Amino acid sequence: MKKFLALALTLAMTMSLVACGKKDEPQSSTSGSQPQQEAGQEIKLWTYPVGNWGDQATVDKLMEDFKAETGISVKVEYLAYSDGDDKINAALTAKSAPDLVLEGPERLVANWGAKGYMVDMSDMLDDTDKAEILPAPLAACTTADGKVYEYPVVMTAHCMGINLDAFKQAGADQYLDLESHTWTTENYFKAIEALEKEFGGPVTAVYCKGQGGDQGTRALVNNLYGGTFTNEDHTQYTWDDPMNVKALEALKNTKGIAFDASLEGGDEIALFYQGVLKIANCWNIAQQMNPNQANTGAGKTMNGEEIICMAFPSENGDDTQLCGGIWGFGIFDNGDPAKIDAAKKFIKYFADSEHTVDAVKTANFFPARTAAEGTDLTTIWADNEVMNDYQVLMPYLGDYYNVIKGWTASRVEWFNMLQEVGQGQDIAESAKTHAEAANAAAQ
Amino acid sequence: MARQKQPTMSRALQRRENISGYAFMLPSLIFFVGFVVLPMFICIFMGFTDANMHDKTMFGSFIGLQNYIRLFHDKTFLQALWNTFIIVIISVPATCAFSLWVSSAIYKMGSFSRSFYRIVFYLPVVTGSVAVTAVWKWMYNNYTGILNTVLKGVGLIDQNINWLGDPKFALYCIIVILFTTSVGQPIVLYVSALGNVDPTLVEAAEVDGATDMQVFWKVKWPQIMPTTLYILVITTINSFQCFALIQLLTQGSSNTNTVMYHIYFTAFKLTDQAGHFGYANAMGVVLAIAIGILSAVQFKLAKEK
Repeated sequence: MKKFLALALTLAMTMSLVACGKKDEPQSSTSGSQPQQEAGQEIKLWTYPVGNWGDQATVDKLMEDFKAETGISVKVEYLAYSDGDDKINAALTAKSAPDLVLEGPERLVANWGAKGYMVDMSDMLDDTDKAEILPAPLAACTTADGKVYEYPVVMTAHCMGINLDAFKQAGADQYLDLESHTWTTENYFKAIEALEKEFGGPVTAVYCKGQGGDQGTRALVNNLYGGTFTNEDHTQYTWDDPMNVKALEALKNTKGIAFDASLEGGDEIALFYQGVLKIANCWNIAQQMNPNQANTGAGKTMNGEEIICMAFPSENGDDTQLCGGIWGFGIFDNGDPAKIDAAKKFIKYFADSEHTVDAVKTANFFPARTAAEGTDLTTIWADNEVMNDYQVLMPYLGDYYNVIKGWTASRVEWFNMLQEVGQGQDIAESAKTHAEAANAAAQ
Repeated sequence: MARQKQPTMSRALQRRENISGYAFMLPSLIFFVGFVVLPMFICIFMGFTDANMHDKTMFGSFIGLQNYIRLFHDKTFLQALWNTFIIVIISVPATCAFSLWVSSAIYKMGSFSRSFYRIVFYLPVVTGSVAVTAVWKWMYNNYTGILNTVLKGVGLIDQNINWLGDPKFALYCIIVILFTTSVGQPIVLYVSALGNVDPTLVEAAEVDGATDMQVFWKVKWPQIMPTTLYILVITTINSFQCFALIQLLTQGSSNTNTVMYHIYFTAFKLTDQAGHFGYANAMGVVLAIAIGILSAVQFKLAKEK
């Protein structure tokens, strides 16, 4: 009897394991009893933390409203930038990719789109849409052969964050043009000198632990003396040009600027909030609007010091080229037409309807189009002083070069190069070596 | 005297016992084959291919030994291999020696004191590696870390040291953390092994006039050798497979790249580059061979002793 019970228990365990193994497979009994149309009414959205699109409470409300209007329920998974790509790549390999993803063209168009994983959404854009969507996001979301792998929703220009109180204390505020939020390269270095004299130690960091927030270091280096990251056609990495080498040398030789391989963008922001660093290179309007951990309010450090946004310094000040951030929805081609249709309804709802206002405001960025189905989007932030103030930086939005081939590998080369510069290696040689490696990866 | 005949089982009973025995083994066997044996063979096979996570075919194309040839020309991999060896060479002897020293000091203590020390040293082992790393990251922080504050306070340094951002220090900082999280288990094992040393042999040696050192090396050491061998092997494997600390602290920057981290990075991060998945598998095979060789050497040396 005992043996019989033991055998039964073992078989039960084995069967449960088999059942566990089958859990993720489509359940034929359920799908068989339901019409195909109904089964397609639940879709999966994986979202990177694009403003409050990474906040579950906010997104749940949006999804409830969407379900109430369309009957389609959306299961949302929240990704982090640190491992979001890994999760999506693993899901693609396991053929269990989500139906929708919210991120930028460097991933949706240049990476997964180019590899054939995304649905072409060019049929969703009529002439009115093409006229309403701003040229920069439209171009970034469209491939050379006219395929649209991302439906743009929001955009911004990445900038610097400045601890204005610290600048005033060091007398460095004289170097800032507070009206246009721009400054010259000469004034930038004068300000660093003043800050370093006042506070001692590094006052800003060229962070290079990893690729997180590297748009800040790219924009800083490229703008100081008019260098470029890629050529105009986005076919070659050009960061080893003499202007960039000059900028790297100037940064490396300036007291108060640390090439820090223990930090990446997020770490730098934390130190900036703590008041340790006086300039953040990884900043944008979403950071400016987000209250910090000490809850001292938007646009304040943890000590309550005032933070303002500034363009990256350039030789003339007014010719700065800011790195753009463009975010929108893409659809993974999972081979289920019903789910693709439901995903397109989702995108239409959030990217081209009166509900686009909610999608944009949730992201804390600017709309990627001027109007959506008759709703004017140009004035949605009219009542927000911070957003209005930030608008002055939008004309400086530069080339969206992130869609170049070999983007992931190039970012690795970039931070490795910065690390080498920080270690004192020959700057021109290091820039050349890593730019060549990035170009090789792009082939 | 006639030999007593052992009772024998009937064939039917034997078969029934065999079946139930295999049935009990089945769940573990399924896991072992599915998640250890099969992936191991897949890894070896993929090391000879240009497989990529984004390939339509799972295994890519067969490319012979190209991945292995590439490995030994890849400066990043060779640097990672060198860093891994440094970790192993420093961490393994230090862990073994320190845990033996601590164990020797505490195994004769009363049960309360012995348990207290075992808990103290075992705590970092049972604490989540993320939590441990977060605390160390704060201590090592270049700008606000306690280490720089204390060292500056006592006048040992006048400028902050970027512990995790400076290649001169970063790898050693990681070895320190690895050491603190590795000594717990060896201490528990050594305390137990030393407690099981035959006291009559120790007494006999002492009666014969042996010194403490002689008692330790001639009597205790041979008896705890199997434990030492086990500790050496698991510490070596753990040191070779150091990954979480690198991922959480430096992501391979500041010259802290290890083979394990480089495998992960190559397989899952360099998604733009063709053939990276097969290449990462080849690295995994090389790492397994290195661990195997070192473990075999340790076994051989221990046997000779």
